Order: sequence, then structure tokens, then C-alpha cells
Amino acid sequence: MAQPFPYTYYTCDCFDSNNPLASKRGPQPLEEDERDFDPHNPRSNYTLYPLEQLLYCEDCQQIRCPRCVAEETINWYCPSCLFEVPSSVVKSDGNRCTRNCFNCPVCTSPMTTNSLDQHGDGPPYILACPYCKWSTVEIGIEVEKGTGISAQLAKIANGGHPIPSLKERDKERERKKELESRRREKDAMSPTQDSPTTDTERDSTPSHDDLFYNLSSFYKSQIDAQTPSNPFSSAEINFSSPSAYSRIMSMYSSSSRKNKRSKPAPARDAASILEGLSIHDPSNDAQAIERIKREGWSTTLQPSQKLAQPDPTIRFSDELRPLATLLCTKRSKRCRSCRHILSKPENKITSTRYKIKLLALNHIPRISMRALPSQYTQSSSAPSATATPFAYDALKPGIPTHFLLHISNPLFDPIRVTLATPSTTPGKVQSRVTILCPQFEVGANTDVWDDALASSLSPIKHSAQDAGQIEAGKIWDRGRNWTSVVVEVVPGFLDGVPGLASSIGPGAAPPTSTNDGRKRSGTGALRDVGEDDGDLNYDEDVLEIPVFVRLEFEADVNAEERGLGDSRGSKGEREKREEAFWVVVGLGRIVEI
Amino acid sequence: MSTSDRSQGRTRGTTPRIADLASTPETPRTPPGRSNSSIYGSPGGFRVEDEYVVLEVGARFVRGGLPGETTPRCTLTFGPDEQRRAADYRQWDPEHHHSRRKRKRDQAWGQDHELYRLDINQVDLGLVEDKFERAMREAFNKYFVLDTKPRRIMLSLPPKLPHALMSTILDVLFGNFQAPSITLLSAPVLATVAAGLRSALVVDIGWAETLITAVCEYREVNEQRTTRATKLLSEHMANILNAALDDEPGAGDPKAEISFEEADEVLTRVGWCKSKPRSNRRTMYFAARTSPILEEFEDAVESPEPTINIPFPKHTPPTELTIPFTSLAKPAESALFAPDMALNEFDDQELPLHHLIYRALLSLPMDVRRLCMSRIIITGGGSQLPGLKTRLLAELEALVSQKGWDPVRNYGSASARHEQLMNQKRENLELRNQEGEDKVSESLDPETPLPPGLQNPEEDFIDAKLSHLALKNVPSASLVGGVIRGVDTLGAWAGASLVAHHRIKGIVEIERERYLQHGLQGATREKEVSVVQQRQSMGPGIGMGRGGGDRASWTLGVWA
Repeated sequence: MAQPFPYTYYTCDCFDSNNPLASKRGPQPLEEDERDFDPHNPRSNYTLYPLEQLLYCEDCQQIRCPRCVAEETINWYCPSCLFEVPSSVVKSDGNRCTRNCFNCPVCTSPMTTNSLDQHGDGPPYILACPYCKWSTVEIGIEVEKGTGISAQLAKIANGGHPIPSLKERDKERERKKELESRRREKDAMSPTQDSPTTDTERDSTPSHDDLFYNLSSFYKSQIDAQTPSNPFSSAEINFSSPSAYSRIMSMYSSSSRKNKRSKPAPARDAASILEGLSIHDPSNDAQAIERIKREGWSTTLQPSQKLAQPDPTIRFSDELRPLATLLCTKRSKRCRSCRHILSKPENKITSTRYKIKLLALNHIPRISMRALPSQYTQSSSAPSATATPFAYDALKPGIPTHFLLHISNPLFDPIRVTLATPSTTPGKVQSRVTILCPQFEVGANTDVWDDALASSLSPIKHSAQDAGQIEAGKIWDRGRNWTSVVVEVVPGFLDGVPGLASSIGPGAAPPTSTNDGRKRSGTGALRDVGEDDGDLNYDEDVLEIPVFVRLEFEADVNAEERGLGDSRGSKGEREKREEAFWVVVGLGRIVEI
Repeated sequence: MSTSDRSQGRTRGTTPRIADLASTPETPRTPPGRSNSSIYGSPGGFRVEDEYVVLEVGARFVRGGLPGETTPRCTLTFGPDEQRRAADYRQWDPEHHHSRRKRKRDQAWGQDHELYRLDINQVDLGLVEDKFERAMREAFNKYFVLDTKPRRIMLSLPPKLPHALMSTILDVLFGNFQAPSITLLSAPVLATVAAGLRSALVVDIGWAETLITAVCEYREVNEQRTTRATKLLSEHMANILNAALDDEPGAGDPKAEISFEEADEVLTRVGWCKSKPRSNRRTMYFAARTSPILEEFEDAVESPEPTINIPFPKHTPPTELTIPFTSLAKPAESALFAPDMALNEFDDQELPLHHLIYRALLSLPMDVRRLCMSRIIITGGGSQLPGLKTRLLAELEALVSQKGWDPVRNYGSASARHEQLMNQKRENLELRNQEGEDKVSESLDPETPLPPGLQNPEEDFIDAKLSHLALKNVPSASLVGGVIRGVDTLGAWAGASLVAHHRIKGIVEIERERYLQHGLQGATREKEVSVVQQRQSMGPGIGMGRGGGDRASWTLGVWA
């Protein structure tokens, strides 16, 4: 994948097991334990994480991935100006920076404020993108002041027309409505000349926002008209409350009101643009087509540019708006099942430190794989093999290759490791994998100095003369808190050699998960369209080995003490613990022969 | 006191519902005050308003935002780049933009851009859950950036979404995002709301299918579907582009096979639709109603045929295709209208759009049809294609003027007689029109009295005045009916935002506890819980009727 080969991904299955709703989804085709993990299944993309991105809940003693933590926002800030935004402002002004930070709508890089003045400092100012050279000149926007750009931009539409504020909009709408109703009153008196509603406002097509606010106020008036102002109809008759008393008193005092409505006006459709009705206008369509024909591809917007815009329905490049920078948040994370805090950053925006951070790195052994240096392997007959680094990008199918699987232990207790892997990798390209020593121990993580003080670095010595002495059942090498074993891999053939299964041997029946996984993601009738046309999917030539890792160790009962480095001295009770999870090791890309 | 009880008490006194808006004006009605008093609440307390998050879930997009905002805060897609593993950053690799992704072996066109498909047999629900969960996490953490308070969710769903998909989506929202309650609203109704209407014919040109819903007073009354929608459209566009690329001089030996992304981009950027079919122009029914702009546009035959240059950086070798502008309108033609096929050749699920709209209107009762035909809302992703709305309306108008509202398509042997009848009717109509102009002659001609059916109804001026006064508050524009008219909508999301902003309650409201207990099975079978509230006396015991506020059962409404 994106990480350079070889890489290791860890699965997090705690979500599925902890989610009470998941069980309702119908019976799983196989028990979780019996199923091999298939890294080519599209679902695996959602469960695999690099070890660095995982947290560990010490109370549940389980890995926690971003998916199975609950997040709580601590504070908001603009990533561009690092200004902390109080939560009330976030609530009222939305999720974007309200100061001067903008991103280019074309290429998303941060924009700078430039002056158009000859001397370089004075109005008018524009926003310009230093990367793609787009600037607000292209949409006809210049601002008067160099600060508070967001507030200024909110008042200028593309082309320099002013945008009325919400209040001005309301006022304007009221004024126009007044006019209209007066006109209607006249009509009512003389019903014969049923003049159509005025189309004078139609000259300029209203914007999305205009329509929305018009609609909103229309519905508000409709709802108000429908809800009689009878105080008893409202839910709270709360005689203990002073406000209720005042309400009742006002009811009695204002009972002589003349303008009491006898009957609410019937609910109705919006009737004009002022109420948010917009009749389809064919000329808009024709204009758009004409414009595409005239100006071509470059004047239209990419889908991603459109989606980033506040109004994603725009089509042409002169409708772009500079994008105010999205606010970022600092969030603390809690374990979803036990609600303990797993990670909590410091409050200060500029600080990158954490108050609490329970990383899986400190609790889960790091597993990595790399090619066995070629001088040790039998196939090192090539003379210059030592000089060239191993080509992970070009694994040769059908040729047995040895890899070293390296496990290092972050715990302060020795662990017993059991590894298991399906003998052939799931997926279309079936590679054969054998772990030569699936059971071994890894020493405890002690002080780093122990390593240096210890006289013998490694109990096992390997030299070039030992070539070919890879023994099954024995570990390859061992250190203070690490152990490595040899894995033999026969990369599969990309084009699916028909005799592959027989060449692997009778014991290498494809694991159940392949068929099963496909059936679940199965696409029914469509499946046989290209079942066997030999074309590989994206990334199917990547050799990824699922390995099931099981750890056993004894640890102090007191969970809090772990990780403090003093576990050797403590004489508390010990308990047996166990961890089990799948990892996926990406070894490299198989090339065609 | 259960939590649901308390939260009910917190809402503003009168929480109108969509259904309240729907109640007909003539009927006398009980005031909609649902008297669930918060008598146990603190006196004169300052109420915490329920806060909502507004989501719209479609087959390819999820839109999310907060109520009262005009546009969604985010529109999230489900492309392959959104489905990568953590720490897989290859989409930012400069190389990435030059390599074309092949379609997966067993995948249909555009399938890896879908959140779900309606054929549940072909859906891995777990994968749907994964995708939706990831999208929601991005929406909440990156775009909503809310405080920790759980928010109610106003969820717009297409009607008749399969239950398995619904419960997957609800599981994620209840389970991972701790929503206290979710209100389901159906997308056509919301599109109607966002157009300012109460009744409409909503044509939602979606991804896998076009859904035509007749909405009358905020209720779905009729529904028609066809598979002629955006998916087919982009597939046709891909075919045309492939053919054009193969025709290029120096085209490589392997047939061009452009990816979904490229076809979709071309379609959304420069795809268009002829506003009026050339073939129909010869026929008579357009004679009167053509607008001058279109006529001029269609007639202008440019001598150098206008072309469009489309870059294909992912093609090998990267190329810039010059394609006639008119051929970019062909996909819409063939995918949505299929003009070169007779109507009887289509299967039921693949009727062309205009025929389906006509059929939907035809199946409506006459008075609903009158309302709906002049409130046609064309929405959905496909409706963004410039010219399509105009074209659909024009086609529909042509159909109506050709066939009228006669459900019989072919009279067979009786067609001659039918023709005769129609002619007679038409003549009568003309006669009446002529006579209307000089009424004097009619009244002065006592020997040949007109049959009453042909006589003009006597106009009572006082009646006219009275009806006019009765509707004084209703502007005439909101009573328009009987003519084909298109109305633009702001889209289902905006509708949901409006509904949530005005604190209108939906009929389908699912409480978290109830859902977690029983899932979708907990819903009552009745499609509608009574939306007209029970009459309640205004006695002192008003606060005690706790049954009033606590909704004992919930329904799935149109999704049931």
C-alpha cells in the first residue's frame, strides 16, 4: 500500500464483538475464530490500521481503533492562524475560520492577502493563491481592509455586488410583501381583473440562499398562522412559574383585542419568489448550455472543487468562492465500552503533547518482516546479491523466498507467541506461506542498558558459512526483547497457472475464507461476468500475508502499574493474560514472469 | 420519569408536525397543543432546545449539516479513494492522477462509488456499515465539530428503502453516534417542502433509478420507478467517449476503456441535454407553446460544428479528445428518453422518463393531478444536467397535448368511433368558444337550443366575489393548476434543514431505547400513527396525562 514494503497492519475486531447491534445483523457465516482474515476483502480496509494509529484500553485489555473510540471535542482552532475559537462562536458562526484564513477553491492551498495598491500596502486587497495563482480578481471581488476578510467577503457576492445581511433581507422581504399584499387588496375589491402575480422580481434569479431564507420565513409565517395564540394550547401550564402568571394576566387584560382572528388562514403553497417559490425557467438551461458550448471544458468545475464549495450546485469557475479554512479540533478519546479516557491532548493549541495517551505501541508487540539477507539463503548463488537491496516491488512468482519475521516486545514481561497463517494466502493470487517456527518466546522489555551490559548479544550466531542451515522449528535469532523467525514464502502466479494447486501439493486446499469472503461480498448475477477473465483487481498483485498472533504472558494484576518500568520488583499477584489478533504483513508486489 | 418523557417536555409548547401543515384548511381542527406538561420541571425554567443534525443519505452521497443552514456542511462521496486503509496515502501521489483504475472483476458500472444498492442480494451489509460509519465519522469530526452533547438526527431517506439497509444505517447512527432519536423523512416530501409547495410531482433522477413520487398535501400518493437514471447515463457517456477515443488518430490497439471517474466528470462538467427533440418539432403540438429562446437555439446550425476539448490525462498516452458538442447530448437522449424505441418495447422498469411522468400523472385522481401537473419538481443528481428539466417538461407537454388524459392508449377496432367522438368534442369546444364571443346571438336563437353540456355555465357574480373574498388571503399563484409547470427545489437536504429549523416533528420518529430493544421490528404495523391529536380538555389535570406526550408506539410510515 502506500507505506513502503514491507509493512504491517493490525486488525481491530473489538468493534464487531462489542457492538450489541452487530449481532442482530444475522448469523455470521462462520464463527469468528474459524474464519481466516482476508486482506483483499473490501471490508478489511476498515479494520486494518498501522500499529502507530491504534490505542489500547488497559481496562478492557483490547486494541482500540479510531472506529471504536468515542471522541469528545476539547477545543476548536483554526489550523491556519492557530486562533482558538470558543465553542459559542463555533455554534453561531459555523465550522470555518471567521478571520482571514482562506483556502484556494481551485487547488485548496492557503491563500494570501495581497494589496492591489502600487505601494503594496493599501486598499483594495485581494486574496490570491500562491500555488495556482488563482485570485479573487477572477470572480470580481476586492475588499477594502486587509483584516477581517471573512466578514467583508460575506457581504460581497461574486462580481462585487453586495449581499444583504440576514436582517436586511428580512426588511427587504417585508417591504416587497407589503407592496404585494396592497396590490392584492386592490384585486380583491375588483375581482374581475385577476392580474397575475407580479413578475417584476424575476429579472434577477434569486440565489440559493435567498430562496432558502424566503422559504424559511414563509414557513414561519405559515406555522404562526396555524398555531392560535391561545395560551392554553401551549404545553406549559405551569402554575408555579411566574412567567405563566404573567401570561395569564396578559390574557385577561388583552381580552378586548379587536383583531382576534376568527379562523386561521388556510395553509397554502408558496406563491411568489418572496415566499421561496421558484418556477423553472428554461432560459437558465439554455444559457448554461450556450456557455458550455462557447467556453468549453476549462470553465467548468471539477467534481472535487464543486463538493468543497458551500453551494455544491454551481457549475462554472466564476461562481467559485474562496473557502474559509475549516476549523480543527483537539479531541479526547474514550473507550467506547468502558468509557475510560484513552487519549487526551493538552488544552493549549500550540502544544502537541498529551496528558493521557495509551498507545497500542506500548502494549502490543511490533511485528515486522523483511527479507533474509541473501548471503544466508541457499538461492544466493547470484554473485552480486549482497550489493543490491532486496526488491520488494518485484517478487518472483514460484520461487521460494525467505523472510525474517521479527517480533519485539514492549511489555515488561516475557511473552509466548504463537503464530498461525493460512498455508495459502486468500485472494486470487495464491501464495504459499510457511512459518518455520510458529511457537517461541520473546523476552521481556527491560532497561535498554541491559542490552549493552550483556556480554553476548545474541545466543545464536549466523555466518555466511551457515548458508542453507535454516531449520524448521528453531528460531532464527533473539535479542533482549525480540525474536525473529524465518518464514518461507512462495509467491503465487499472477495469471493463475492452472497447475498451481497441484504444484503446491495436496495439503494446500484454498482456505475457506476465499470462497466465503467472495460470497458475502458477492454480486450475484454480475459475479460471473468477469470471474475468470484473468484480469487482476487493483492491488491484487500485492502479496499480503494474514498472520494470526496469539500472545500469552503473566502480568501483575494491578493494571495501573504496568508500563511504569517497575514490574520486576513488584511482588503482587500475577495473572495469566492472553491477546490474540490478526496482523497483515504486506511483503511486496508480485511481478509477472 | 423516562428520558423520552423529559425530552418531550422540553420541546416548545406546540411542536407542529408536517402532518399539521397537511391538514386541510376547511376542516375544523383541534389546536395542535399536545399537552404533555413539564409540570415536574423546574419553574419558569430556561428550556434547552433539542438540537438536530440533518442528514441526507443517497446511493452515492451523504449530505450532512445543521438545521437552519442553507447548504449542507459536507457532501461526502463513497469513491475508492474514500475506502482506502488508514495510512494509505497513494491518492495524493502525483502519479495517481495519471493511472486509470480498472473496474473490478465482478463489479457493475460505478459500483465502487456506491454506498448501497437496492438489490439486497448484492449488498454486503457489513461493507455498507463500514462505509457509512467512516463517512459519518468524517462528517462529525471534520465538518460538524460539535460539542459532546448528543444530537437528534433528522434523516432524509429515499422512500421504500429496504429494511436491511435502513437498520444498517440506523445501527450506525444509534450505536456509534449516540443519537437520542432519529426522525425519518422521505426525500420526495422534503423536496416538496424545499420548493415551498404542499403537493407536487417529484421526479428524483437518482443514481440507480429515477423515482417519481406524487406528493399531495405532504403525503406520498403514487410512486413510479424506472432504471433510466444517472448510472445508465454515465454508462452511455462512457460508451460514447470510448468510441470517440478509439476513433482518434493514433489510438492504441487496446480498446479505450475509460473509468467511471472520467465518464462521470465529463458528464457533470460538459454533459447536456437537448432542450427539445428535433423530431418532435415537425409535429403539431409544439406549435403554440415554444419559447423563442429555445427555437432560436435549436435552429441555429453553426457552420463549423462546435466542439469541446476534453483532456484525458489518464489515457495512455495522455490525450485531449476533441468531440463534437452535440455528441455530448447523446447519452441523455439515449439513456433517459430512448426516442428510437416504440413504447411497447420497454420493460416495466425501463420506461423513458417522460412516459413515466405521464403515467404517474395519469394514475392520479383528477384533482390531485391538477395540483401535481403544475408542480413538477425535478431533482436528484441527474437533474443537474443542463437542459434536462426543460426537455422533460416539453416532452411531457407534448405527450399531454397528443394523448390528453385518456388512460386508453389504443382503441383498437373502436378507434374510428373514438376519433369521431373526439372530433365532435373538439368541434363543440370550438363552437362554444365562438359562441362565447357573441352570446347575444345564442340567446336570440330559441329554435336550436344548445345542449346543456355545451352551454356556458351561468356566472353568478356574487358567487365569484364571495369565492374571491374567501381566498383573499390566498394569492392566486398558489392555486395554479391544470397546466404543466416546473418548479425548482432547493433539494431534500434543504427541506430537511427547514423542517428541523422550524421544529416540525416527523411522523416516523425512532427513540434510541426502543430501537436498541427491538430494532425495526418494534415499529407498529400501522402506517400512520394518528397525527391529529386527541382532544384534550383544558382542566386542571392537564399535566397529568402523561400518556399524551409519551408516544407509546412508533411507526415506520412509508418505510413500513
